[in-house]
Amino acid sequence: MTHAVMNKAPVKVILTVNGQTRQAEVESRTLLVDLIRDGLGLTGTHVGCDTSQCGCCTVHLDGQAVKSCTLLAVQADGRVITTIEGLAPGRESQLDFTTGNTTPTMPALHPVQQAFSACHGLQCGFCTPGMIMATVDLLKRHPNPNDDQIREGLAGNLCRCTGYVNIIAAVKQAAVLMASTNAGSAA
Amino acid sequence: MSASLQPARHEDLRLVSGQGRYAADWNLPGQAYAFMIRSDRPHALIKSVDLSAVRAASGVLLVLSAADADAEGFKPLPTGAPLVDKDGKDQKVAAMPLLASDKVLFVGQPIAMVIASSAQLAQDASELAVIDYEDRAPLASVDKALSPGAAAIHPQAPGNIAMDFEAGNASAVDAAFAAAKFKTTHRIHSQRLIGAPMELRSCMASYDARSERYQVYTPTQGMLGMRGTLSAVSGLPADKIEVIAQDVGGSFGLRGGTYSEQVLLMLASKKLGRPVKWTASRSELFVSDWHGRALTLEGHLALDAEGQILAIRFNDTIDLGAFNCYWGAFIGSKNVSVTMGGVYRVPALHMTSRLVFTNTVPVSAYRGAGRPDIAFAIETLVDAAAAEHRFDPIALRRKNFIPKDAFPYATANVTVYDCGEFEAVLDKALRLADYDGFAGRRALAEKNGKRRGIGVASYLEASGAGAVKDNVSGRWDANGRLNLYGVTGPSGQGHETTFAQLVADGLGLSLQDVRYRASDPAQSLVGNGTGGSRSLYGAGSAFKVLVPRIIEKAIQQASRILGGNLADFTFAKGRIEGAGKSIGLIELAKQLATENGTHPLDAQGDATSGTTYPNGCHIAEIEIDPQTGVTEIVNYSAIDDLGNVISRQLVLGQVHGGVMQGVGQAFGEHAVYDEESGQLMTGSFMDYPMPRVGWLNNISWDDHAVPTKLNELGAKGVGESGCSGSLPALSNAMLNALRPLGVKQFDMPFTPARVWALVRQ
Repeated sequence: MTHAVMNKAPVKVILTVNGQTRQAEVESRTLLVDLIRDGLGLTGTHVGCDTSQCGCCTVHLDGQAVKSCTLLAVQADGRVITTIEGLAPGRESQLDFTTGNTTPTMPALHPVQQAFSACHGLQCGFCTPGMIMATVDLLKRHPNPNDDQIREGLAGNLCRCTGYVNIIAAVKQAAVLMASTNAGSAA
Repeated sequence: MSASLQPARHEDLRLVSGQGRYAADWNLPGQAYAFMIRSDRPHALIKSVDLSAVRAASGVLLVLSAADADAEGFKPLPTGAPLVDKDGKDQKVAAMPLLASDKVLFVGQPIAMVIASSAQLAQDASELAVIDYEDRAPLASVDKALSPGAAAIHPQAPGNIAMDFEAGNASAVDAAFAAAKFKTTHRIHSQRLIGAPMELRSCMASYDARSERYQVYTPTQGMLGMRGTLSAVSGLPADKIEVIAQDVGGSFGLRGGTYSEQVLLMLASKKLGRPVKWTASRSELFVSDWHGRALTLEGHLALDAEGQILAIRFNDTIDLGAFNCYWGAFIGSKNVSVTMGGVYRVPALHMTSRLVFTNTVPVSAYRGAGRPDIAFAIETLVDAAAAEHRFDPIALRRKNFIPKDAFPYATANVTVYDCGEFEAVLDKALRLADYDGFAGRRALAEKNGKRRGIGVASYLEASGAGAVKDNVSGRWDANGRLNLYGVTGPSGQGHETTFAQLVADGLGLSLQDVRYRASDPAQSLVGNGTGGSRSLYGAGSAFKVLVPRIIEKAIQQASRILGGNLADFTFAKGRIEGAGKSIGLIELAKQLATENGTHPLDAQGDATSGTTYPNGCHIAEIEIDPQTGVTEIVNYSAIDDLGNVISRQLVLGQVHGGVMQGVGQAFGEHAVYDEESGQLMTGSFMDYPMPRVGWLNNISWDDHAVPTKLNELGAKGVGESGCSGSLPALSNAMLNALRPLGVKQFDMPFTPARVWALVRQ
């Protein structure tokens, strides 16, 4: 009968999400992922399990990849969050008339997003936002990762469609693209 | 701006940027939230259900129990196609009620639905339900359900046998075995699996009282299958139900038709006058999504002195789970009989199959739905015969392949394969895998203390579930873009790209000018959902037919607009030319755009496609570390005959995914019930090992296309072939490595603990 004693009084949290200050009132038991999806309407962050195994809910908290189902929303108070929607912000976009959604064009995307598509590293796309957020973090730590580093870096992200073969290719392709981009901007 | 890459698919831009919209991403104003109360008992009589405290709890709006479903006249869930047993009697069918009333037969069976103003309050309230059970002994395995004196789970099925199925010619097989020089028996157990698409099953139903229509947002493999089953269960006319599925996060056979929840949500929405949303937890899905596989196939092979196959017999035992839900019984009877001779000339075939009820989650389709299992059984049986009677496994296969000039080939149980080049496929695969170099690699591995094995599998499967006809349409918008519609529902296969590419290529248009969208409720298209690996050649063939119909209309319209004799106009590369004038197709479509929603260039395509026989040869090479029991897949090579390939990149993606699901089954996945308690021991991703990155880093692959004439594209289907090839290849590789230790039988999953224990014996 935990419900009878649980404090359901709302708690106010203020956090920076994709560059914008957002505030919300949450129950103390609300998970960060539920705040992101239901409270802030950012449904690109997905929920695929209830045991912190699948990684579909991976976001960046103060620049580091975290599973947003393992944190309470109140723990993110005052902190900086980037979700898949904010990975390549403020760039050109186009209307996809199949869906009515506004989607970015390929050059407007982050190199990791581009590489996942170019290498066919996604099929149903459900794990993809989390997989991409984990990969961005992985490439920060290992700009030119080997197979073992990829295995370690994505060990917490499940994919049921691709067999991971093209995900590994996408991570490596993204590393090449980011290296060339960095070289280009340095010159 | 930096260099950028090319997107592989139309779908990708929204999916990589978080703009995809899966079922749980939809929200509607005023929505309420549902939570399911489920049985925590595997087998019990329900003495009473007291939901009064649930109804009184904070935020609760409505509670639905079995009585509410009965009051609406709701039917139980679909039980699949009718089947008859060996004596011509109907299968003993046990249909699953939407909600349990007097008894529960598996852990996870739905008992009531609680609807509240928030998901948390619905879940909180559900804990106040008081259910008085009278437990009965759980029969959570086939062995227990068949044990002498076991209680009948369903009174209509004494001994817990739903059916003893039979196919083929028993006396011919008996005679062949009597005359055989060599005989071999090999049993495979294709263990119970959790399908686990990454998207959680979710549904929102919204009832509109004015139109008396329901909108149902839920993952599906195709609009018609989902709408049809919602209609059949609810008794509501199909045209009152609109199914909405924009992006579907995997299906693998689990999302073809409705479960209890979707129909109950429709009722809840009508009663409350507001949308009602439900999203499962993953743990909940482990005990409520249909389970997969759960087949034991015992094969018997008869050979003459030269190694010619004389007969094959299978004696199968099928775990249906607690109820007939959708495809379990069909998979375990007819579907494993169709290709029971594999790629071989087998003069006599016979099978028996015993279908058994157990106190477990009902079993239905999972990627391949019995076809990977029978391919697995045949190809491990051939390897076992080669090992037992000292034939070379490759030579034994060569000797018995159906030769390429024997097609069309009718098997002994009258399946007709239309085409194939099995030996050419094998030869290509042997080269790709450097089979001849294996002995050297094994010797090197042994020096390093490892046990290395190689496994070959020449699989064949039947593709083409569902009805034979598919119907699609193309409609032009005012901007001169072509919108394609069909009813087959994608869940990652890339329909938006492949179908658009087919039509764009045919019309000489840019891929950007053509879009595919699954379903269009305003149209009355017929056709199949995604299943049986048939979408490409089913709907794709209809799109191929659509192209010349559009061209014909375009020529007529262009000659009228440009002026001139119709016979002088021709179409090439996206332009219509004639009488010294020409116009681009898109320009023409823009000029002809009307305000009323129809367009003179709109057209429909339809095609009738028969069963195809994708086949291939997969070769796995593994290395076991006897110190740890860890097995590494060191090489994986595959040649597939998928007929004509439209998009090599997307086809290869399907191969990767199918092979990895086989790898998952071979090395980790296993839904395990505790026999004493009847509880599912592997109830979450913490206990159920899903394949992870690095289980298999690369697949060497090529195709060997022998186009079929049974559909417009010459394609055979790819969705499930990866499972059919990988299960036997991996199993044969493991036994190849372990046979020197005297191992003849070793069931999946080959987990480190099980391998280590076996090697140490």
